[in-house]
Amino acid sequence: MAGGTILKGGKKRIFPVHYDPGKKLFHTVVVLSDAPGSFSSILELLRTKVNLIGTGTYTRSDGTALFSGFCEALSPKVTREDLKKLILSSKAAISAEVYEGKDGLLVDTFHTGLVVGGDEYILMRREGLAHVFDRVSKLLGSGGDSLLFEEGATMGAKNAEIMIKNIGIDRVKNQTAALNRFLAAQGWGEVVGEQGPGKDSVVVVIKDCFECSAARGTRKACNFMRGYLGGSAKVTYGMEFDSKETRCVLKGAEACEFVFAPKK
Amino acid sequence: METWPIVAVFTQGMASPFSGVLLARLFPFPFGVAALLAEPKDGFETMASELARKGMKAHAPATIVGKSGVKHEFAFALVQDPGKAKVVVDTELSVRDVDEMKVLKFYVKVFDVGPEKAVLCVSPKLAPRAATLAKEYGITVLEDEVPKKLIPMAEKLVNETVG
Repeated sequence: MAGGTILKGGKKRIFPVHYDPGKKLFHTVVVLSDAPGSFSSILELLRTKVNLIGTGTYTRSDGTALFSGFCEALSPKVTREDLKKLILSSKAAISAEVYEGKDGLLVDTFHTGLVVGGDEYILMRREGLAHVFDRVSKLLGSGGDSLLFEEGATMGAKNAEIMIKNIGIDRVKNQTAALNRFLAAQGWGEVVGEQGPGKDSVVVVIKDCFECSAARGTRKACNFMRGYLGGSAKVTYGMEFDSKETRCVLKGAEACEFVFAPKK
Repeated sequence: METWPIVAVFTQGMASPFSGVLLARLFPFPFGVAALLAEPKDGFETMASELARKGMKAHAPATIVGKSGVKHEFAFALVQDPGKAKVVVDTELSVRDVDEMKVLKFYVKVFDVGPEKAVLCVSPKLAPRAATLAKEYGITVLEDEVPKKLIPMAEKLVNETVG
């Protein structure tokens, strides 16, 4: 529809696992020639046999592309052999493998990790990490809070170093807003920075901060995130910053707010 | 809860250094915890007052902001420059030997605050693994079966540190 409603952003869905009891599920993995039309030709074939639940495609360093798709059979008669044969009937397919789920459970047994921008990542439940932080704070008290700050600062500094190495210091400084969106895309929270009240001070607001998610009342501040932002700023701007969290979801605020100012 | 007023009567009126300890170890909970905590807390406050009269910046309890910006509370602290701790003291009182988690809990606060000397007063004593950890972390440990005796021991150490 021309001039339709504005598409709002949201959480990306990826499929290392899928559970749908009673359904016949398959994971199709296809190495394709990295040429226009390859992907669509595979989809065109698959549409007759399966309903795609979630897919991903990416180019590979050897000049090929890889399609990975979780799908549900349109008929109970569909077999993994059928699907593999169907996919390989396409000239675009270089090789293919089809894995079948069991009892409605389908797990990605092909991939062995995640790569983002050339760096290896891991996935973990947001709530699980928040609970780990709760536990650290509960076991170690205020020392646990400072430990979380230190860990955050270390990770922030390291990530900034890598980003500077990858895209250059000027882009890191000039495209802060875009890089904040990169944090949001990874599920860390929606980060917005703006001029602070004092000279050279910066206010950073985080909506949906991961550190606050599912916390069980042990912690009262986002010390990891405060450390992360401070560590990142230190490497980017070459100076130490004093930081303070002025609002926090853990204290009932709608968003977390941090003020950073160069250390005197 | 009816037991708490009884504990208060016992702890307030303890003249003998053994009374609170005996009560604590005979009745670990809730008598034990309340009885053990009462003595050193008051002792450190007195110690801080005495040192303050000599012109030192001593506080009990003391709240110190660490490098991280997190506020830490210690049973006692001697401060020199604004916000810079010279000596920090904490207590770990238990009905059994104190484990390594308590040492770690103290150490992470010390790491953030960065004092010249960190003292952990323990009653009755550290468990072997905890003692090893404290040594590795450079924590000075004072131990005694009687919590009250830890106060003069800590005071002596603080005075030696100040010179």
